[in-house]
Amino acid sequence: MKKKLRNIILISFSIVLSFCLFYFGTDGFQAYTAESARIYRLMEEKPFFPNVTLEDSKERVYEFTEFEGKYAVLTFIYTSCTDVCPQLEMNLAEVYKQIPSELLGEEIMFLSISFDPDRDDPKTLEKYQHFFSSDGETWRMARINNEEQLSSLLDEFGVIVLPDGEGGFTHNSAFYFVGRDGELLDVMDYKKTDEAAVKIMDTLQNDMEG
Amino acid sequence: MKRSFIIGSLIFLILIIPPIRIYMESMMIIHMLVQLPLLIVVGWCIGEYIENKYPKLFELINGNGVSGIIIFVAITMFWMLPRTLDEALTFPIYEIFKFISLPLAGFLLKDSWRKIKAFGRIFIYLNYLSMFGLMGWLYLDSPIQICNNYLLEQQKTLGWGFIFITALMVLYVLQSVFTDQSEEE
Repeated sequence: MKKKLRNIILISFSIVLSFCLFYFGTDGFQAYTAESARIYRLMEEKPFFPNVTLEDSKERVYEFTEFEGKYAVLTFIYTSCTDVCPQLEMNLAEVYKQIPSELLGEEIMFLSISFDPDRDDPKTLEKYQHFFSSDGETWRMARINNEEQLSSLLDEFGVIVLPDGEGGFTHNSAFYFVGRDGELLDVMDYKKTDEAAVKIMDTLQNDMEG
Repeated sequence: MKRSFIIGSLIFLILIIPPIRIYMESMMIIHMLVQLPLLIVVGWCIGEYIENKYPKLFELINGNGVSGIIIFVAITMFWMLPRTLDEALTFPIYEIFKFISLPLAGFLLKDSWRKIKAFGRIFIYLNYLSMFGLMGWLYLDSPIQICNNYLLEQQKTLGWGFIFITALMVLYVLQSVFTDQSEEE
């Protein structure tokens, strides 16, 4: 009898333990892949955009603080990319079109950051931005020349970039929505452009009213 | 029996050497289908030694073997989530947990496997057979990269690895079914 009771206790204990393992291992049954876990973690941490020096398609060099006081929508790309980047930028263009033009440049900036500074010089970036009708002003494309700054930014924002051995990179993609003070507000699914545009507009409107 | 303890510890020490560890983890298929199973083997070997040395211990913590097998299934399933494999490369705490939890799983399996008898064994075996098949299908069929640290190509290789294991397991079932029948006649 005593043995039976002990077995029941042991089994219950092991079930509870297994449950805890999965509960904590998946952030409460939410994140089963590292990508979802990464976004979950970013939302918890809310990192600030580190101060980096950008060089854009018009060969202007400035710090990220140039955009202080404005919202920013960011993507991380490289122009030689053949699969996900064009899609990512095409979708960013969709979002860009949905923002009223009087807000662009005043309240909100769009910025595509290249993590391949060796190949993406201002000329290449300028050519690239034409494909997506980015004007180079309210939607800029820029590279970060300083390697240390680049890796600290990728690290802070959880962007993992893997060389694929054929001159390209594999990387995770998303829209990064950054607040007026450089704080990361949201990481949005780049496939859901309408949803992203609504979220951005809501935030802007709330902010301007309040 | 002391030999199994030495073998177990030796495998563990080899797996833990940084260059070997990093090399194994650089390939997804070796990480999942060589390193992880070897860690379970480590636990199994050490379990064999402990079982002989302190027979009372298992009686206390793993009465009829069911609780042990539940923990074993939970730990191995945990390490089959695409996320955990990825996190082990990024966060040291996951890596440490991997090197503790999997030997523990093997340790419990050694004792439970003896206790759960034929019915339990068949249940566990078929459970893993279908799970490996599912994992193979998941990794082969996924058009997107599931892990951040491994490329799509590696994911596909792992998928084939799982299919291969599943095929072997099916062959084993067929083989044992037919040999059993011939013995009965």
